[in-house]
Amino acid sequence: MIGWISIALIATGAFFFMAGSTGVLRFPDVYTRLHALTKADNLGLGFVVLGLSLRADSWIVVLKMLLIWSLVIVAGATASHLVAEAARMSNVPPWRKRS
Amino acid sequence: MPTTTTPSLIRVLMRPLRRAVVFAAVWWVVAEADPEGWVFGIPFVALATGASLALTPTREWRIRPVGALRYAGYFIQQSVLGGIDVSMRAIKPSLPLDPLILRYRMRLVPEYARVLFADTVSLLPGTLSSGFEDDTMTLHVLDCELDVEQSLRDVEQRVADVFGLDLSAEGGELAAIDGGAVGDCR
Repeated sequence: MIGWISIALIATGAFFFMAGSTGVLRFPDVYTRLHALTKADNLGLGFVVLGLSLRADSWIVVLKMLLIWSLVIVAGATASHLVAEAARMSNVPPWRKRS
Repeated sequence: MPTTTTPSLIRVLMRPLRRAVVFAAVWWVVAEADPEGWVFGIPFVALATGASLALTPTREWRIRPVGALRYAGYFIQQSVLGGIDVSMRAIKPSLPLDPLILRYRMRLVPEYARVLFADTVSLLPGTLSSGFEDDTMTLHVLDCELDVEQSLRDVEQRVADVFGLDLSAEGGELAAIDGGAVGDCR
């Protein structure tokens, strides 16, 4: 039972990684792509960590994965802020639906 | 730099010690409690403590446990919604995007609180922080139909509660940028 829940969680995580990568490919500019990267990957990694936690041999491995997840969240959110700021500084025009 | 209060020797010694304990705990988790890991761990804990003291000599913030817990719950809920929202936009054949750049006048004053605010905003559905200017934060919004102002005010309050801060009376509203009106969907 736990094995199947774990598989479902990891598959859900993989789905969000795939959706995030699809966004990076399909979205029209750097700003919109950053949305896809930070948000979808954060959630995808969260599900993968949850799924793997159910299979972990010891609780310290679970702690380690949660630590990695939180570091990825902080690094991802901060890096996307800096990339977006750099893009604005160099006057990269944001894509608009109609203009 | 002149200071009004002279910290006692104990306080001066406690500061690096406390940080070293935190980094040691992090290392202990990374090494999965393997005692052999300390061969590498001790030098890196020392380096991390040194870097931390060089970058932030004094810790200005205090974390309120209740506020932090409530923030954590909210954060998890919102990052799930944010991830689902952007994934659906990426997958839908119609690619439903109508982006807009906005400015938000922040009511949070301390820099550390603004950093947490900006990082949180970037994981919320449809918003991405993209720079600070004076008291405003620039943000990129995926869909101009989203009610950004209300959720920003909400997040700002929750970040303030993490640190037990009072929000300034000024601000808390969106400001137009690049000549466009707020909420301008064209």
